[in-house]
Amino acid sequence: MFEFFFKYSRTVYNQGSFVFLNAWPVWMLWAGIALAGAGFAFLILRKGGAANPVRSVLVGLLQTALAALLLFMIWRPALSVATLKPQQNIVAVVIDDSSSMATKDEGELSRKDRGAKVLNDGLLQKLKDKFQVRVYKMSDHLSRIEGLEQLAAQSPVTHIGDSLKQIAADAAGLPIGAMVLLSDGADNTGGVDLETISAMRRQRIAVHTIGLGREQMQKDLEITNVELPQRTLPDSRLAALVTFHQHGYTGQKAKITIRDNNKVLAAQDVVLKGEGSEQIENVLFNAGKAGVKTIQTFIDLLPGEENGRNNILTRVVNVDKRVPRILYLEGEPRWEFKFVRRGVEDDQSIDLLTVLRTAPNKRYIQGNVSKATKEDLEKINGFPTTVEELFAFDAVMFGSVDAAYLTPQQLQNVKDFVDRRGGGLVFLGGKDSLADGGWQATPVHEAMPTQLPDRKGTFKWTPANVRLTPQGSESLITRLEDDVKKNGKRFSELPYIRNVQDVGEPKLGASVLAEAVPMNGGGGALPLLITMNYGRGRTAIFATSGSWRWQMLQDKADMSHEMFYQQFLRWTVSGTPQRVTGSTPKTLLSDIATAKLRAEVRDKTFMPANDAVVEAHILGEGVTETISMTPDSSEAGAFVVDWQAPKQGDYIVEVTAKRGTEELGRDTFTFRREDGTAENFHVEQNRELLEKLSAETKGNYYKPDDAQRLADDIVYSDGGISVRETKDLWDMPAIFLAFLAIRGVEWLLRRKWGTI
Amino acid sequence: MRPRSALSLVFACLASWGILLAQKPFHDYVGETPTEVKVGEVPLPPDWDVPAEWTRGRLKYDAVGILHPDAHTGWMGWATDYPQGDRHFQEGLRRLTLINATSVEHVAELDGSDDIYNWPFLYAVEPGHWHLFEDEADQLRDYLDRGGFLMTDDFHGTNEWENFMKNLQKVIGSRPVEDLANSDPIFHVLYDLDKRTQIPGKQFLGSGRPYEFDGFEPKWRAIRDERGRIIVAICHNMDISDAIEHSNDPEYPEEWANMAYRIATNYVVYDLTH
Repeated sequence: MFEFFFKYSRTVYNQGSFVFLNAWPVWMLWAGIALAGAGFAFLILRKGGAANPVRSVLVGLLQTALAALLLFMIWRPALSVATLKPQQNIVAVVIDDSSSMATKDEGELSRKDRGAKVLNDGLLQKLKDKFQVRVYKMSDHLSRIEGLEQLAAQSPVTHIGDSLKQIAADAAGLPIGAMVLLSDGADNTGGVDLETISAMRRQRIAVHTIGLGREQMQKDLEITNVELPQRTLPDSRLAALVTFHQHGYTGQKAKITIRDNNKVLAAQDVVLKGEGSEQIENVLFNAGKAGVKTIQTFIDLLPGEENGRNNILTRVVNVDKRVPRILYLEGEPRWEFKFVRRGVEDDQSIDLLTVLRTAPNKRYIQGNVSKATKEDLEKINGFPTTVEELFAFDAVMFGSVDAAYLTPQQLQNVKDFVDRRGGGLVFLGGKDSLADGGWQATPVHEAMPTQLPDRKGTFKWTPANVRLTPQGSESLITRLEDDVKKNGKRFSELPYIRNVQDVGEPKLGASVLAEAVPMNGGGGALPLLITMNYGRGRTAIFATSGSWRWQMLQDKADMSHEMFYQQFLRWTVSGTPQRVTGSTPKTLLSDIATAKLRAEVRDKTFMPANDAVVEAHILGEGVTETISMTPDSSEAGAFVVDWQAPKQGDYIVEVTAKRGTEELGRDTFTFRREDGTAENFHVEQNRELLEKLSAETKGNYYKPDDAQRLADDIVYSDGGISVRETKDLWDMPAIFLAFLAIRGVEWLLRRKWGTI
Repeated sequence: MRPRSALSLVFACLASWGILLAQKPFHDYVGETPTEVKVGEVPLPPDWDVPAEWTRGRLKYDAVGILHPDAHTGWMGWATDYPQGDRHFQEGLRRLTLINATSVEHVAELDGSDDIYNWPFLYAVEPGHWHLFEDEADQLRDYLDRGGFLMTDDFHGTNEWENFMKNLQKVIGSRPVEDLANSDPIFHVLYDLDKRTQIPGKQFLGSGRPYEFDGFEPKWRAIRDERGRIIVAICHNMDISDAIEHSNDPEYPEEWANMAYRIATNYVVYDLTH
């Protein structure tokens, strides 16, 4: 239809640029139109047009439009478009040969067969009539084939980006004028990067895409992501953030199951929400003992589901053996101190060292430390004086301690402990805590999650109930019940706390997880539990010393108080980095061989150790290899290396860092390579990717039914060996139809007015 | 009164009643109970109503005669040395430690309410005469299981020990009572108390004997929980309470008063650290 009215296809208009072939300047065209308009106005006014202004204006406009159209044709409008020279250019026809192309979602034909049919129905021959045609199959790389019968649709992966790069590289030596990509757009690397698209644009290769496969499954549920921390502490409660979408099952129930090999760790029923929209569910489970956990997330197969292979996703979690150390300095013997200690004593994954000021000149030190360490701490008033001593801990907690108890240097060290070392810092409420202890005038205040009031008397003996905020209901710190609603209810039913401290306004970026609601009209709600990330670490305030009532005022079997403090203290240390921290962005390499290994290396004072010698020792699947890691120029203290995992299986990496003969530290982590899974996901046609790819390279996207047009459209390209053509527009039917329309309207109006 | 105001008042009353059930307000028993002091002799400290982190709960219990255990005498053994001993001790803690203590005690009962759980440190005087009813014993056991601590003092000799144990066993069952070693942390948590002596009550000033009945030797005993923490501290054949009560009496030997403060303080700090 477009071509009938406008003489040429859309492609010609998209590729071409508009020009006037007449040598006269364009301003003369505009001047001519203006002159014609003025002339008609003069003639109409002279014949008494002022008597009926509406009719006069309409007639004037129509006659001016007609004159403009005539002048436009006289100036000879045309399109200037580049076209590929026949038989001198190569067209690369690339067909996806991954296993997803074996999907039969269009009748009995697989996607691969549908693609072959499109080519055999004449497209390939038409292309061959005009160009030299090279046919390739695409999987994780590109390879040339002689005939379509060589397609097998069995490759476990699709790397569209790599294939485009190869075409771009070939174009440097060959006159590749355009590329035709037949694919479902399912790319296992997550898409095509900008660099690759830029390379195609530089080579001026238009990529025309033919989308194969259904754009939407009729009945399917797919887990698109499971977010889990790569590392955690033994027996930690973890939240798996499961993201999925579904078609055809809205309103039905499904069961999410988390398993470690064959052991079920958690199961949760969910109601499936909006059709095709992303649904995110939190599933809590216990990480268990130290070791590498292969965590599999399942959603049970639903009746009639078209693809059951995308209902499972695997993640690898390293449960560290290390026992983080927490230093708790308490300024006065009090029940909160007693019950905090009791609350976490069963938590074997935390080493709590407490220093309690019992009398003005006495301290009582408890924890898993030697007598010598206790004596050393006693000598220095119970709190480390050097950066090295303080940074040996993973978190620091202050009870009712006046800031003046620490020296200015110790206060600065505490701030650096969070900022540079990445430690956790916690403040509890108390008569000498926070603003009442003068902490607002210290460098530590900057790291705190609230703007402390600049006054005393903030600690009040006001009984208050605890209310979780929406963030608190979801937080792992305050998660006493898996169900969010039940969790909020359980907190609201806890015994009241005896006191609460005004901690001021939460800072930007801080999260208020719980509020204290004073009883008997004791004022408005106050922030009670506030957390914030600061620098490399994290800080929190729990603004009361009265949570011990949760233990004494509830049944002895109730574990609310213990769970809260265990989860709270684990949060403070779980993200604390060690001097040498190894990692990889993907602990599970799905159909990818390249493992990106990374290490962050710091010295004893946690300054970046750029001069360190860092090595990765890799063990697994018959491999024992040591490779050097090189400094990452984008981040101080970071070292990186790419390593090819030769086959699927588990690999252990030990990163060691040395400075001269001094060992700075070592760290171990694991990853897994798993083949044949990536193609099970995103099996619908990724039209968005294909359209974007075409649009970015000046190509077009075609449905299989329209693909035969491609043979005509592909000619218009400035890639390869091309010439520029001009195509007249003055004689296109649309102009003549416009001419008739203007005259027709004028005739109808005059008939209506009775003037003819 | 408008209906909305009346409704608000009812809710406020209910809320207040809820708090009262959970934590009873301070109550001075002088004048209501046959105590050793008369009304006005021990005035309330000016800051009696100022809340603080720590308060000693004095256990109010029913007493029986030793020779006739079923005969409830009406004698208020729980109030022995009350309130002077308590007030002195609270003040002593303030001076000797960093504990933020109230100036007054709180008398707590095993009455089935939640009040007693607000005072995780309980002090029982003259438990040689106590009588715990079954429901009281159940509540005391529950109190200890939740994390409470009981210190007993001022009972002497074989007969009082037997009555003490007879009632305590209703609480602790077959848990053993052990003699504490000198090395136990409870004797070192604040003061090093390797050298302890028998601390007599004020009766010493008249009798010249440091012991009462056949309680010749002081016994530092305890019952532990399954984790080895002391949950019941038993001071048998001594009268720490009296020594503290009369610590301001020029006739009472300073050495014993001093020792009494140190022992009691260590027990408190032990509880707050274990």
